[in-house]
Amino acid sequence: MSENLEQSFVAQLKANQNIIHKICRLYTAGEDAHKDLFQEITIQLWKAYPKFRGDSKFSTWTYRVALNTAITLYRKTKRTISTVEYESHQHFVKDVDYNYEEEEQIKLMYKAVYQLNDIEKALVFMYLEDKDYQEIAETLGISEVNARVKMNRIKGKLKKILNP
Amino acid sequence: MKELDLLKKDWQRNSDSFEQISEKEIYKMIHQKSSSIVKWILIISILEISFWTFSNLFLNTDDVLQKINHPEIVTALEILTYFNYAVALFFVIIFYKNYKTISTTVSTKLLMGAILRTRKTVQYYVWYNLGMIVITAILSFFIAFVYNPDMAFIREKLAVNGKAMFVTIGLSMLVACAFFGLFWCFYRLLYGTLLRRLYANYKELKKIDF
Repeated sequence: MSENLEQSFVAQLKANQNIIHKICRLYTAGEDAHKDLFQEITIQLWKAYPKFRGDSKFSTWTYRVALNTAITLYRKTKRTISTVEYESHQHFVKDVDYNYEEEEQIKLMYKAVYQLNDIEKALVFMYLEDKDYQEIAETLGISEVNARVKMNRIKGKLKKILNP
Repeated sequence: MKELDLLKKDWQRNSDSFEQISEKEIYKMIHQKSSSIVKWILIISILEISFWTFSNLFLNTDDVLQKINHPEIVTALEILTYFNYAVALFFVIIFYKNYKTISTTVSTKLLMGAILRTRKTVQYYVWYNLGMIVITAILSFFIAFVYNPDMAFIREKLAVNGKAMFVTIGLSMLVACAFFGLFWCFYRLLYGTLLRRLYANYKELKKIDF
């Protein structure tokens, strides 16, 4: 029984691991920290797995537990990130229609996002993941209206970071 | 915001660019120990509760009580001890109940609230014990002063010299303050490092929903 549980968990986690990778990318700097947070999230997901009933999708459930772990349970997150670490942390895909100016802008945006606090990052993360405001609000435990208001404020803050 | 849309496009284009973790590695990971703050809070809380609950075991007052030879004081102290154990039990139950509500599957706000509530339970227990120490210290000071035959000599001396009385009281207050200061620093250090980020995030989250 418990082996079955383990098997189904590992298979589902493997298929959904990019969600965790993306959170690690946003909340940690450097490969070691990335791995460390990935492991902690995996442990927390496994601990919560017996309560996962399948009434929501595994991916939706993963978003919640993983974000909660990154924001609340994890202890070692560095708040600031140096440029060197940031550069090595990116995985840019060179397109055929490579646009230097756009690429520069994207780089600056990543840097700006790294300067946000943990909660703001969570909102941006779910925004980037195309989550609707209802899900963002439910995940964080705030009202939908206030999630929208906060997202607008974050956009303003990002603008300010980009054009000080 | 144009830049954010640009970022979103790039983010989604790169969402499968991570080095993939194998099933074998995931198996290994789920058998590792967690290093989350919840685990640390649990360990520290258990240590705290045991320390305060059993600290009165090591305070040996039998000799003094025998000298005083007032059975009603002995009975009162025994009742107090049982009362303390009952309070400890009460706190342990509340702590366990709060601890059980900590779950990563609820919203971030609820999770943070649950952790802070659990932590607060222990904090109240520590305050209760510190309060009890002060009360017992004052009481035993008076009991010893009034009933202990060894104190008769000091009593007489203090009655003659009022200044000595002030010095004694002043010194005991100083010791009490130093004692409290030490505890305060210890707790600031311990929970400051452990919970600083959690408090900051909780405040931020509450600010959104003011």
